[in-house]
Parts: sequence; structure tokens; C-alpha cells
Amino acid sequence: MATEKEILDALADYQVQCNNNKRLRRMQRDWSKLLHFVAEDTGDVFTMNVVKGEIISNEAGAKGTPDIIVTTHSESLCDMFWGDLNPSQKYLDGEIRVKASQEDVVRLDAITMIIWPDV
Amino acid sequence: MTTLRKILKLRTVVSTSAGMALATSCYLAGLQVATILVGELAWISILVAGLFCLLSSMCFSELTSLYPTAAGIKLFIQNAFNEKAAIAIGMFYVILGISMVGAESFLLSSVLSGSFEMISPHFDKFFWMIIFILFVGYINYRGIFITGLVQDILTYLMIGFLILVSFYAFNLKGIDITTALQSSQFTLSNIIKAAGVGVFLYVGFEWVTPLAEETTNYRLIGRGMMIAIGLLSITYSLFVVAMYMGLTKEQLQSGTPIPHILFAQNLFGPTGMVIFIIMSILASVTSFNAGLVNTSRFAYAMARDNVLPRVFSRLHPDHATPWVSILALVIFAIAISLLILITGQYLFIILMAAALECIIYVVMALCVIRLRKKYPDKERSFKIPFGKLIPILTIVIFAGLAIGIFTDVTKDYMGNVLFSNYWVALFMVAFAIFTTLYTLLVVPVFKKKAAERAKTRKRRRPGRE
Repeated sequence: MATEKEILDALADYQVQCNNNKRLRRMQRDWSKLLHFVAEDTGDVFTMNVVKGEIISNEAGAKGTPDIIVTTHSESLCDMFWGDLNPSQKYLDGEIRVKASQEDVVRLDAITMIIWPDV
Repeated sequence: MTTLRKILKLRTVVSTSAGMALATSCYLAGLQVATILVGELAWISILVAGLFCLLSSMCFSELTSLYPTAAGIKLFIQNAFNEKAAIAIGMFYVILGISMVGAESFLLSSVLSGSFEMISPHFDKFFWMIIFILFVGYINYRGIFITGLVQDILTYLMIGFLILVSFYAFNLKGIDITTALQSSQFTLSNIIKAAGVGVFLYVGFEWVTPLAEETTNYRLIGRGMMIAIGLLSITYSLFVVAMYMGLTKEQLQSGTPIPHILFAQNLFGPTGMVIFIIMSILASVTSFNAGLVNTSRFAYAMARDNVLPRVFSRLHPDHATPWVSILALVIFAIAISLLILITGQYLFIILMAAALECIIYVVMALCVIRLRKKYPDKERSFKIPFGKLIPILTIVIFAGLAIGIFTDVTKDYMGNVLFSNYWVALFMVAFAIFTTLYTLLVVPVFKKKAAERAKTRKRRRPGRE
């Protein structure tokens, strides 16, 4: 079970990886979304604000009305943000659940695929 | 529960479900139903097929309420049986499903080449086919999505228009079913046979299940599918009979692939023809576009899951679309279309699609039964009433319809045999063997390679290196 701090640390690293990746920034340049990540085992919720492909903020708690809600185990959230987990596989196995349009699901997965292509 | 900023409403779930099923090939399939039965009574088989599809939609509803995800069918089968079965059946369903584009593009090109002659009918068909497939491929490649509102407008306009035209035709021609009732063709066996083909009219209604992720109430998907089937039943019942009555005997005997265009011309002259051509284009584009979106995302997800070669997971650097998957499917669609153009056997694809749907409905019903046994306490926002009765009925009915399709022969309006349907069965069995062998022999190689890559990769998470 990952703690809130562990997930926030992972999110901070994820933010740096995403924002420093030119290829990703180019691909997501029109993508502005508010995301909620829900750790179903601990009940923790995290809010990520993406504006034109740049992650502006990550914070604990559910802020605003999201465009995308990702729900999974806290460990999976943590591993996903550290790039240690293939979100597509977990999604296809039903371990990660996403509430969003199909386009957003692909774009979300694209982040991991581009930052860590060998995952 | 936190809600999404943008959620789909029932109206859009219905229009998407019905819109997927409304395609140019449906007019021809409808006429095939009328040919098997008696034209004026085709509505009976269409309603029967709709009723059967309603049973299947209940199975989809329960499964979607259990696993509300775009990974839908793969996840249902994986959890009910195992991953290998899910991959083999999923690939079988999705790849054979996209071959429907072959029939659709052939019929749309027939519509266009029959209306505007450029060089020669054969070349014109080829030209329009390629243009149609490339156009839809390009929309997908650019990541242009048909919004819910556009889908609503298109679907409800088409349904409303078809119903109005049907009533106009009935009013003009008058309707008398007494002769039809006395026909030797009007038998229970023919009603069921025609219903088997009639299933094609509803093909794609279940492709709305991936939208579960865009709703907050999963029951909407089930309700939407059922309303869509109801709307389609009424629309097709009226329109197929009207179209049959509105065609001349010579037109029926010609085995035309564009009955709705000839019907519109008979009824309204060139203006009607143009309206129906526009409707055909819209219906084909929306159906194929949605099909290509779903299929290319499926291929992308399979590649990410190390089931297909990784190249299929490549995303376009600007549009974030799985362009390799889209390109591969466009090439596949063109190949199938060319095959149909050369052989002219578009009915083969229509029958295969109908049989494919029957098989998938049987698999879904089996999943319902199996998942109830495996996870009796798992939360379901919708559970089919009357225990196992409806899933069992679904299995029996659709297995029977599939067998009915495979053991029949396809005839034209004059009663001439076009081909024996066991060829359809043989083709499908061959393809099933291919997907099974692929799953058993090739997928493990990809999975092994992925596992080796994972072993050499250092974990980034602190404390877990």
C-alpha cells in the first residue's frame, strides 16, 4: 500500500519527466485536462492539472470537476508514475479503471509510452 | 461519486448504438430478408431478429455493468475463461468485423458509380471505394472525432427520414398482405432463416459498450442499446417493406446492390435519389469511422499488451493517433474491398457478419453464466432477471441462427443459387484456426521478449530498484 506522500513524490517526478519531454509536449500541445487519480485501497485522491500538454500542478485531494478519473490500487498508481508499470496492460486486465473518452485514454497511455518506451 | 465534466447522455448512447447499425449494406440485407421470406411480410423476421438481439443486449448490459471499460469484450472473456481465449476470440471478432467495410465500401461505390458515371462502371466503383476508405482513414489518422451532438443529429435525422418515407410509400402504393400470407414461402422455417440474416441489420449496436467510461450511470448503456434496437426494429420493418413494394419487378430481379437508390428514384425522382445518396454516404462514413476508431484502438491496446507486434502501438507525433494500426486496417479494408469488387460476392460478407454476430452473442451469454458462477457477489448495477433463462435462450437462439445460416444456400430474387453458405463457415473456421494458432504460438514469443526486456530494466521507484 503506497502512502499519500509516496504518490505525491511519484507525481512530482512524473511532472518533471513529462514537462521535459519535447516529443510528448509536441504531441499533447492541444491537450488540456483536469485529472483525478483515485487510490481505491486508501481512498486518497490526487488532482493533476494539464494545460496544453504541460503538467501545471499536482496536489492531494479532489479539486474541481475532472475530465478524466483514473481509479486503481495505490501501489499501481505509484508504480505507474515512476514508469515501472505498463498502464495499458493493467487497463486491459481491469486493474486500472478510467472514466474518460477513448481519445483521452489513448493520450493518457501515450504519456508513459513516450517517456518510458521500453515499459 | 465524482462526476465527469463531460458525460454522455442517454440520447447519445442511443444514437451511437443505432448509428453504428445504420449502414448502406443494411438496405441490401433488408432486401435479402424480404427475398427469403415474402417481401410484404419481411417485417416479421426483422422484428424477430430485433427481439433476439434484445436478449443479447441484456447480456451485454450485465457484462458492461460488471466491467464498464472500453476493453469490454476482451475483459469479459478473459475473466470468464482465460487470457488466451480472450485474445483469440477478440482478434477473430475485431478483424472479421472490419471486413464488413469491404461490403460497405462496395455498396457505397455502387451507389455513387450508379449515379455519376465518369469512366466506366467498374473503374468508377474502384475509384469511389478507394476514396471512401482513404477519406475515413484520413479522419482517423488526424484524430477528428464525430462529436456526440453530430452523431445525434445524423442518426435521428436518418431514422426520422426513413420512417417518413416509408409512410409516404405506403400511402402512395397501398398495402395488402393477404396474397403474401397465402404464399408458400411464408413458413416458420423461412421466418427464422430470414431472421438469421436480419441479425445483420443490427450489427454494431453493441459497439456502444466502450462508451461506458464516458457515462456515470452504467445502466445507461444497457438502456440505450435496448432503445436503439427498438428504434431500428421499427425503422427497418417499415422501410424494408416500403422499399420492397416501391421497387419494380425488373428492379428486384436485377439483383441490384442499390435498392434504396432505385426506390428513391421511383418515388421522388432525381431529388429523392440525391437525398438517399447523401444519406448513404453519411451512414457509411459514420459506421466505418466508428468501426475504425474502435478497431485501431483495439490493435493499439493489443500491441501495448505485447499481443501484436509493438509497431502497432506507434502514435503519431502530432495527432496522438495509432497511425500504424490505422494504416494496417486501411490496407486490409482496401484488400477486402478489391476482393469483393473482383468477385462481386458482397452477400458473402453480409452473411459472414451476421454469423459472426451470432457467435459473439453466444460467447457473451456464456460469459454472463460463467461470471455469475465465478463472481456471484461482485457488484452489478444491472442483472438480467429470471436467472439463467435469458442467457441460455440467447445461446440456443443464436447458435441455432448461426447453424441456420451455415447450412443454407444464398439465392437471388429469381431463386438462382449464388453460393452454398458452408463456404462462409469454412472461411470462418479457417480464420478461427489462424487466430488460435497465433495466440498459442506467436503471442508467447512476444510475451517472452517483453518479460526479458522487463527483467533488464531497472525499476525507478525509490526503494524498489
